[in-house]
Amino acid sequence: MKILIIEDEKELVKSIVEYLSKEDYLCEVALTFTEAMYKIDMFDYDCILLDITLPGGSGLKILEELKKKNKQDGVIIISAKNSLDDKVKGLQIGADDYLTKPFHLSELNARIYSIIRRKQYSNTNIIKLNELEINLLSKNVFVNNEVVALTKKEFNLLIYFIGNKNRVLSKSTLAEHLSGDFADMFDNYDFVYAHVKNLKRKLSNAGYEQHIKTVYGTGYKWEE
Amino acid sequence: MKNLLQKSLKQLTIFAFIVFALSVPSYFFLVDWIWLKELDENNELIAQRIENEFNEQNISDVELAESIRFWNEIQPVSRIEYVQQPLARDSRYTIRRQNPYTTGEAIDRFRGLKTNIKINNRNYVLVIETNVEETEETVVYIAVVTLLFFLILVVGFWVLNRRLSKKLWQPFQDTLEKLKSFQLNSQEQIKFQKTDTIEFAELNATLDKLLQHSVVIYRNQKEFTENASHELQTPLAILKNKVDILLQSDDLTERQYHIAEEMNKALIRISRINKNLLLLAKIENNQFDNSELIGFDILLLQCMDDLQEHIKEKEIDVSSDIHSNVEVKGNRSLIEALINNLLINAIRHTSQRKSIRITLSKSGFKIANSGKEALNPDLLFRRFSRMSADNSGSGLGLSIVQEICRLQSWTVQYSFENNRHTFLVRF
Repeated sequence: MKILIIEDEKELVKSIVEYLSKEDYLCEVALTFTEAMYKIDMFDYDCILLDITLPGGSGLKILEELKKKNKQDGVIIISAKNSLDDKVKGLQIGADDYLTKPFHLSELNARIYSIIRRKQYSNTNIIKLNELEINLLSKNVFVNNEVVALTKKEFNLLIYFIGNKNRVLSKSTLAEHLSGDFADMFDNYDFVYAHVKNLKRKLSNAGYEQHIKTVYGTGYKWEE
Repeated sequence: MKNLLQKSLKQLTIFAFIVFALSVPSYFFLVDWIWLKELDENNELIAQRIENEFNEQNISDVELAESIRFWNEIQPVSRIEYVQQPLARDSRYTIRRQNPYTTGEAIDRFRGLKTNIKINNRNYVLVIETNVEETEETVVYIAVVTLLFFLILVVGFWVLNRRLSKKLWQPFQDTLEKLKSFQLNSQEQIKFQKTDTIEFAELNATLDKLLQHSVVIYRNQKEFTENASHELQTPLAILKNKVDILLQSDDLTERQYHIAEEMNKALIRISRINKNLLLLAKIENNQFDNSELIGFDILLLQCMDDLQEHIKEKEIDVSSDIHSNVEVKGNRSLIEALINNLLINAIRHTSQRKSIRITLSKSGFKIANSGKEALNPDLLFRRFSRMSADNSGSGLGLSIVQEICRLQSWTVQYSFENNRHTFLVRF
């Protein structure tokens, strides 16, 4: 699977490439506007990570160009501009997702995973992992064709784990993912523990093999 | 408090009163002096005339004696008496006595002249007395007239004053009004009225310079905050990602993992502070579209639902009285931030198993949580002024609430009632 990273900050690119290379992804990099325009013109990608502020032009122009050419590449905008206008504009033009810097690589990884699944199985929107079946559209989870009733947060957690298989996910990272903006507003991250515990219990009760492991005492990992 | 012209009016009135009061005796002495001088002249003329008239009669001494006796009978105010030796010199005097021609008690003042006359070469002394206006009466007349003029002057001052303070001070009042309504963070330029009074023109110019200076400093400071937090985002992103990668290392020991996790937590906090500083800068710059119609009640219930797990975790008893169809005009994400900040603030600072009360009506939004003692309302809304030992927050939550309220033209107030910290947002 091919991913294009359009981003001018070299260190950031290096980290993203390093993190993503563990997955089955082939990463290409464009550091400038011109380079990016050339690459999207020449090749097709499964997912494009797009920075808005680039030397030589705006990332939104690249997005417009993609849509003009009717390309099917999934696009995630990664921007330092936490402006709502940009977000709305980007999604209107046709970006699939929007991430504000600074973000966790696991967050990015999960989003890329979702977008690629969506593009690949656009007609079904179903992720299958052995007996586990997740319908992304209706947000239903089945084990051996039987519904597992998950809360919104538990479903959210499950998708995050699956998008970050074999990765260590720390409690604070999960808290930030679950609570978004106000994760750090509370004194402890114990609510993460409660949600993970419930998810684990529900999945194993349904007869699914336990993949969520506790690591280093406070972190978690979906092992496969 | 009195205004400037009223103050000067008082001084002027006192001064005018003193001058007028002093003028009364001055006028009196002057008038009296003129009176007496004129009467002395008059008496002398009469004396000359009497002397001449008697001499022109050319009558015998016997007839003269008879005539003088008769004269003295009918003219008591001018007596003629025979003397052997003439007076050394004339004498002039003022006496008060009963007026012989009026009935009843009437003491009048007379000016007298005692002088020598010669009739048929014999020496006589002539006494002439003429009625003079009384001192008391003169004083009263002068005082009444003076008082009248004094009153005219005071009323005149007062009327002029009212007209002047309206007209003369109008540019000053205008400047004052503009200064009162001026807000440093409102981005509005202040424009003073043109005036042809040197003092006011100078005042306006100085104020203008001062304000411009403040505006520039304020803008620089704001820009600095905005730029600094913007510039910090990329290095923060790099740091955060490096920690993410570090956490994935296969040979990481548990101790190292915990260090990395602590770094991660700190980074999440820095990112949050940075984001909030940017948000504050954006609100101050009015960079939000403010025209959307939002169901406040729906948004509030949504936010409460999102925070449910934190409420449950602390076993907080939440009671709410939320009116439906409370619509406000504004920006959705800002209103959401306002609600969330106040809710989170209440949840964080409420102890286990205590309570929170939420009230929403068309006029305002109130949130009250149990507490022990009142907080300083002046420091509460200031950036980074933490009120509790718990410093896990960004220290900007309530500043953001205040800024959003300013943008929405709402007010936010803190009070401590019945052992509850109460925040009231008035729409």
